[in-house]
Amino acid sequence: MAKKIIIALAGNPNSGKTTVFNNLTGARQHVGNWPGVTVEKKEGTCSYKGYNIKVVDLPGVYSLTAYSPDEVVARNFIVEEKPDAVVDIVDAANLERNLYLAVQLLEMGAQLIVALNMMDEANSRNYRINVEGLSRLIGAPVVPMVAKRNQGTMELLERIVEVAENKVRVKELVINYGREAEEEIAKLERLISQDGEFSRKYSSRWLAVKLLEGDEEVIKKFKEVKVG
Amino acid sequence: MYIKLIQLQKERSEAMPNKPLSELRPKERGRVVKVGGEGGVHRRLLDMGLVSGSEVEVERVAPLGDPIEIKIRGYHLSLRKEEAINIQVEVE
Repeated sequence: MAKKIIIALAGNPNSGKTTVFNNLTGARQHVGNWPGVTVEKKEGTCSYKGYNIKVVDLPGVYSLTAYSPDEVVARNFIVEEKPDAVVDIVDAANLERNLYLAVQLLEMGAQLIVALNMMDEANSRNYRINVEGLSRLIGAPVVPMVAKRNQGTMELLERIVEVAENKVRVKELVINYGREAEEEIAKLERLISQDGEFSRKYSSRWLAVKLLEGDEEVIKKFKEVKVG
Repeated sequence: MYIKLIQLQKERSEAMPNKPLSELRPKERGRVVKVGGEGGVHRRLLDMGLVSGSEVEVERVAPLGDPIEIKIRGYHLSLRKEEAINIQVEVE
């Protein structure tokens, strides 16, 4: 029996996510809907080094708030299903905007791999990206790619297997939000960690930050637990 | 007295020429000072990189002034007029 890996593909719209998905899964894909919302759900499989890799294509999003169904779908999959790896397809020619999503994924404690796509486009604009430096800075593997020419796919698969096998661990990113916010975050975190089930399932810091933001989806989660 | 007040106002507006992003013409640049808007819209604007301090340049304005296309953080973003009205910029 082949060992199973589940990965999610995340990324901004127009970052080449679908191209990467097609490169990975070829014709082995099917399309459905996420339960309860009219957001398309694409899944495919691929085999690599004795692994059966299930690839879930998440909706293209800029952020992971509770305001749009696309973002909620993407976020819920990552926090609830905990895929073995989350591949964030990043437009290398548009790093600043794209890395915002990467930072949010890291804050959620996702096992992130950054696929630095459209490297040709970045090069033609004379952008020089220090791939190793970026990887060190964010604490996650970074794979340069040109998805439309199927460049970088093998290296991406290699990194996916490494992360799924726990050879590489991506640490949850902790951003200091300043003294006042941090005091409140700490208080909430203490309360959350008293509930064993919650703190086993989710990052308590992430939940605390979301509660402070007034994130309706996360508030709903807490209400359900109290009632149930 | 009245004239003095006008003068004071004029000086102030010259020192801090803040105005809504919707009033900038193509090629005009500025620095974001304040982002307004309600809940979801506000958050989305911040998510797209429109935070105080970011540099913006108006690229094009559609007829009747809606929507407008701006350049921010190296990419192009289209905004409805009603969104641009709530973004205060300091004009360079």
